[in-house]
Amino acid sequence: MTGTDTAKTATNTAEAATGAGRTGPVFAVRDLWKVFGPRAQRIPGNPEYAGLSAGELRERTGCTAAVRDVSFEVKRGEVFVVMGLSGSGKSTLVRTLTRLIEPTSGSIAIDGEDVLAMDKNRLRELRRHQTAMVFQNFGLLPHRTVLDNVAYGLEIQGMGKAERRAKAMEVVAKVGLEGLEQRRPVQLSGGQQQRVGLARALAVDPEVLLFDEPFSALDPLIRRDMQEEVIRLHREEGRTMVFITHDLSEALRLGDRIMLMRDGGIVQLGTPEEIVANPADDYVRDFVRDVAREQVISVRRAMRQADGDEATTGAAIAPDTLVVDAIEAVARTGAHCRVVEGNRTLGVVDESQLLAVVAGLDGDAGEPRGKAVAAV
Amino acid sequence: MKLSHQRIRTSLVAGAGALGMLALSACGAAETGKSGGSDEVTITVPSWVGAQANAEVAKVILEEELDVKKVTLKTMDEPIAWDALNSGEADAILEDWDGQPEKQKLYIDQKKSVVKGGDLGVTGHIGWFVPKYYADAHPEVLDIKTLNKVAKDFKTSESEGKGEFLGAAPSYTTYDEWLIKNHKLDFKIKETGAEAAQIKEIQKKYAAKQPFITYWWEPQWLNADIELVEVKLPEFSEGCNEPKEKTECGYANTPLQKYLNADFAKDGGDAAQFLKNFKWTTEQQNEVSKWIAKDKMSGEEAAKKWVAANKETWQAWLPKK
Amino acid sequence: MSAPTLERPAKTAAPGAPQPPGTLARLAAHPKAVLLVLAALVAVVSAAVAGSGEWPADLTVDVRTPLTDFNEWLVDNRTTHPLFLYFLLHISNTAESAVDGVFSGLESLGFLGVTVAAVLIAWYAGGAGLRKRALVTAGTALGTFGLIGLLGMWEPAMDTLSLMVVCVAVAALVGVLLGLLAGLSDRAERMLRPVFDTMQVLPAFSYLLPFVLIFGIGVPSAFVATVIYAVPPMARLTALGLRGADPAALEASASLGANAWQRLWTARLPLARKQMLLGLNQTIMMSLSMVVLATIIGAGGLGEPIYKALAVVDVGLALPPGVAIVLLAIWLDRTTAAAGERLDDPDEGVRSARTAWILRAVVVAGVAAATAVGSALGKQEWPESWVVSIADPVNDVTGWIERELSAGIPLLGGTQTWADGFAEYVLNPLRSALVGTPWWALLLVAGMIAYAVGRLRAALTVVLALGVIGAMGLWTRSMDTLSQVIAALALTLLIGFAIGVLAARVGWVERVIRPVLDTLQTMPQFVYLIPMIALFSGGRFAGVAASVLYALPAVIRITTQGIRQIDPSALEAARSLGASTGQQLRQVQLPLARPALLLAVNQGVVLVLSMVVIAGMIGGGALGVDVVKGLTKGDLALGLTAGIAIVCLGVLLDRITQPAAVRERTAR
Repeated sequence: MTGTDTAKTATNTAEAATGAGRTGPVFAVRDLWKVFGPRAQRIPGNPEYAGLSAGELRERTGCTAAVRDVSFEVKRGEVFVVMGLSGSGKSTLVRTLTRLIEPTSGSIAIDGEDVLAMDKNRLRELRRHQTAMVFQNFGLLPHRTVLDNVAYGLEIQGMGKAERRAKAMEVVAKVGLEGLEQRRPVQLSGGQQQRVGLARALAVDPEVLLFDEPFSALDPLIRRDMQEEVIRLHREEGRTMVFITHDLSEALRLGDRIMLMRDGGIVQLGTPEEIVANPADDYVRDFVRDVAREQVISVRRAMRQADGDEATTGAAIAPDTLVVDAIEAVARTGAHCRVVEGNRTLGVVDESQLLAVVAGLDGDAGEPRGKAVAAV
Repeated sequence: MKLSHQRIRTSLVAGAGALGMLALSACGAAETGKSGGSDEVTITVPSWVGAQANAEVAKVILEEELDVKKVTLKTMDEPIAWDALNSGEADAILEDWDGQPEKQKLYIDQKKSVVKGGDLGVTGHIGWFVPKYYADAHPEVLDIKTLNKVAKDFKTSESEGKGEFLGAAPSYTTYDEWLIKNHKLDFKIKETGAEAAQIKEIQKKYAAKQPFITYWWEPQWLNADIELVEVKLPEFSEGCNEPKEKTECGYANTPLQKYLNADFAKDGGDAAQFLKNFKWTTEQQNEVSKWIAKDKMSGEEAAKKWVAANKETWQAWLPKK
Repeated sequence: MSAPTLERPAKTAAPGAPQPPGTLARLAAHPKAVLLVLAALVAVVSAAVAGSGEWPADLTVDVRTPLTDFNEWLVDNRTTHPLFLYFLLHISNTAESAVDGVFSGLESLGFLGVTVAAVLIAWYAGGAGLRKRALVTAGTALGTFGLIGLLGMWEPAMDTLSLMVVCVAVAALVGVLLGLLAGLSDRAERMLRPVFDTMQVLPAFSYLLPFVLIFGIGVPSAFVATVIYAVPPMARLTALGLRGADPAALEASASLGANAWQRLWTARLPLARKQMLLGLNQTIMMSLSMVVLATIIGAGGLGEPIYKALAVVDVGLALPPGVAIVLLAIWLDRTTAAAGERLDDPDEGVRSARTAWILRAVVVAGVAAATAVGSALGKQEWPESWVVSIADPVNDVTGWIERELSAGIPLLGGTQTWADGFAEYVLNPLRSALVGTPWWALLLVAGMIAYAVGRLRAALTVVLALGVIGAMGLWTRSMDTLSQVIAALALTLLIGFAIGVLAARVGWVERVIRPVLDTLQTMPQFVYLIPMIALFSGGRFAGVAASVLYALPAVIRITTQGIRQIDPSALEAARSLGASTGQQLRQVQLPLARPALLLAVNQGVVLVLSMVVIAGMIGGGALGVDVVKGLTKGDLALGLTAGIAIVCLGVLLDRITQPAAVRERTAR
């Protein structure tokens, strides 16, 4: 289901580098550091500390580098997932984007505008109109009703009572909370509370939604519901989202691109498929070991050159088709399938290629075995 | 976030400051207290019953015979009463035991804000007393020279092996500490923190027929209930308790005094004149005190009862027309 | 320390197994313990050698002269100096007229109007409607005012109430402002903490005297003293609420672009509402106790009949005003508590603005109607024929108790025997030890304990506190008081923890003792002064007993709450492992409730110290008597220095009982 989105954003890649303007990246982050501790300023970019592990750094300097020399761009309309275990710096990272936590050094641009150069008023405007955040612990105001919680962002913007309530009503309906407007947060379930959090963020109609592990406090079933909700919203509105999570399956479900973090630094940045198929190191490999690869990897990556007449026979499937779907087609026909883009046959897959993906024998997933499959 | 807190803080401080300035500039100089008048009279009442008896009787007569609109009896301790008299917040002290020499000097001699109001007529006497049941069995207790012989009878868990001497409440005039020291008495003072505490302790020991020796005085309503006899202390002579560290003599008989606020004494008309004239005997005061303390009458009831029965006495206190 | 056992020699003999460390090695691992032991040794030896440890006279500082000068300056300048004319006297006059205004307001309502108003306000605070909470709160109000009338305490109660209203309003306002400062700024908090501590521990008696000179007798001084005493809980709890607010909600507010004021008004303050209401509740209780005390400076009210009853040593007469105060306290407590509970109640629907206005209109109309009825019937004051006297039966009962309990109970002796025994075997040795130890050795030991418990800073503070005591020339007096305070504190904690644990584990115990605790906490201390003497004779034990009674309720409450609030899963885990009741208590409940227990200790210290003056009044002597003497003799130097010495003792006890970690956590 994310396959189509991936394709869509993939086409934007070329423009991404061109910089400012409504077509450029939403966030462009360069060499970002956030160091906690005494005289934090001395750490970033200092070659003396560059090679140290997190533990060594703390021992030597008393400082913790929560975000360590991070550069990336968030493209317009994509769901950008930042994933890592707790302590990897991902929550700090998302807060530095709107300077809820001041970064130690580096640069951040939103729509090409330097965030670090913003004065207080401009920064407040940014937070009021361009971004909105959904929090792990909801952050609802217990003394307000659901409706007034949803309208809170609008109230801060200075919108009149009647107008903001009317607007909040719409959003309440959009996230499926009709009939609960007059309840207090404590009377809602966890999932409902997070819907309120989501609605509060949506109500200000932000350019980017920032999610900080929004569903990790929820039950698995409800978490799934909420993920569907996010996917639905994204499909309907195409809003850019930065999504923090420690849950790999959530990252794979939602992410157009995933940035994997460890000890404050980036380990790998790529599409879910790239990460699963092509882990950058043992850490990532370990991470994705249990992933159902056939549900992430597409046939483009699994195919081989067509031999003889294979290029003209067999059912045609698109290169973005997931392996799991190809298995179904191959099993039904009993023969190989052609991978077709436009009118051109790129290659073919049969049982052995598909099984190799399922078994993790393709690419460099297991032991590096043979050469890496060609890049996208 | 840090920065914005600072801003709130600064604003708070600035706001409070501005408000303060506003209040000051708007108000100008404040009133400094009321001046003497005869419509309303405020009499201070210390904690003991005798003084309450004075004040209640004065109040009844002021209100019923001299048409003073409102007589307020304000309960307060002596030093505070003196400050109140100085500032004009109260008009009269009716029973002063000479316990505030510094304030007397300051307010009467230096500031001239307080003036003497004459004798109350009652004579106060302070001394050391023991219960009669004990004195009868141990007559040597009755002289300070032979007191040490019986000291062990007064031993308690509080007295560190010596005899226990029930001391005066903190506000009362006392030289006991120096008397005991200078006569080398084998006694330790137990500091009673309040008159009530001392009375309760005496009542308890008296009921149990236990020996005790105490700082005590007359007039005192409890004297109607219990029989105490006085221990002989060296005769008082003028100046024998100065400096107090050298005191070896007993206590003087104190003619209790009245004091008035200076403005009230001048402008207070009949009311002030009446309070200056107010003078009765120890027996008369004890009678009213006993009604209040023993017979549980309210101060007002007791005062009215006395006023009704003693017309000829208080007639003399009324200003001559 | 475990010696090798015969059954399993292999285990201890195993190569590489860590050897049990020797005593010396263990001590070396705890340098603080070594220092402590050394300091104690020095103290004991030097005490034995020296015999007396009084602070040397040439190390004292003369504080009397400047204080006396200050006193005289006040007298001279009171009516002329601009500071008074343009500032301080405005405070006095405003307070006085505000209290007068409230009083005449209450007077014009008449007793019917006041009662109806109290009932309706309570009902409104309880959530209005026919809910149980609203009705119970309203019933409490009705009972309170009905009983106050029946006891014949209507007029003084209205006096007290007027003063209360003004004091509480101002104390709450000042408290919120200071609480905002302390809640938003760490530096302000660090600066204000010791100020609040001092405000609560410095006995009012020791500063009433200058206040009388500065602000005038009666209401103004009472007002200022009360506000000073009642501000700290409001400020502390406001700060606590601000600091404890859900960080996620605050972050959410910031992430939506709220500026500092918006965040304060829409998130911080509303999130702190519950704590602030608790603060208000505490502030009301504190005000009430101070308003009563203020009688001695002519403030009138319910303290006055108590004071008069004391003059004739009559518990029966002192009880009605005492009960009236307890009733007022309960009414105010339940009303504010009900308003607080409402914040927590999820069923509490959101009222539309219209309903809220209608409810308010009902309250106003009800009061107006009752006032009209009252004045139509010509009954503005509580009718005298409705007054019931309880003095005689009360005196009969207390008389019986005094006679029967003070001696002659088989086996147990009697209260007098206990008092003598306690003085003989606890207070005397303790005092001898404290007075006998040389001052420098005591400084050393106290400093070391503080260092072992807390940090270097705690040690320095303790040494400084003791130094101040010595320098003021109050060493021996203070050691006497300290011995009594330590004994009272130990007794309070012993009994308090025991009852607290019991109440936490057995539901009905808590329900039974709650009204008793309420009464003990709010009954003016003056009232149980006389029964204490009757039972124990005046003396140090009577003072200790009164202090224990006063401090006990808070210690019990905090203990019970602390044990109740521990993580139930930890207890469940222990239970699932088959822990016995005792094991559960020792290994799970008490360790987990440690912060609460330490808070209980801290409150115990504060409350026991606040009773030093009262204890002094019933024979405790030492600093307590000095404070009383200072006030009643008009001796500012005596009263104030003794008061400061009491504060220093408070600092000392606090620092040596509160570990540094806890200190920092509560400060944060």
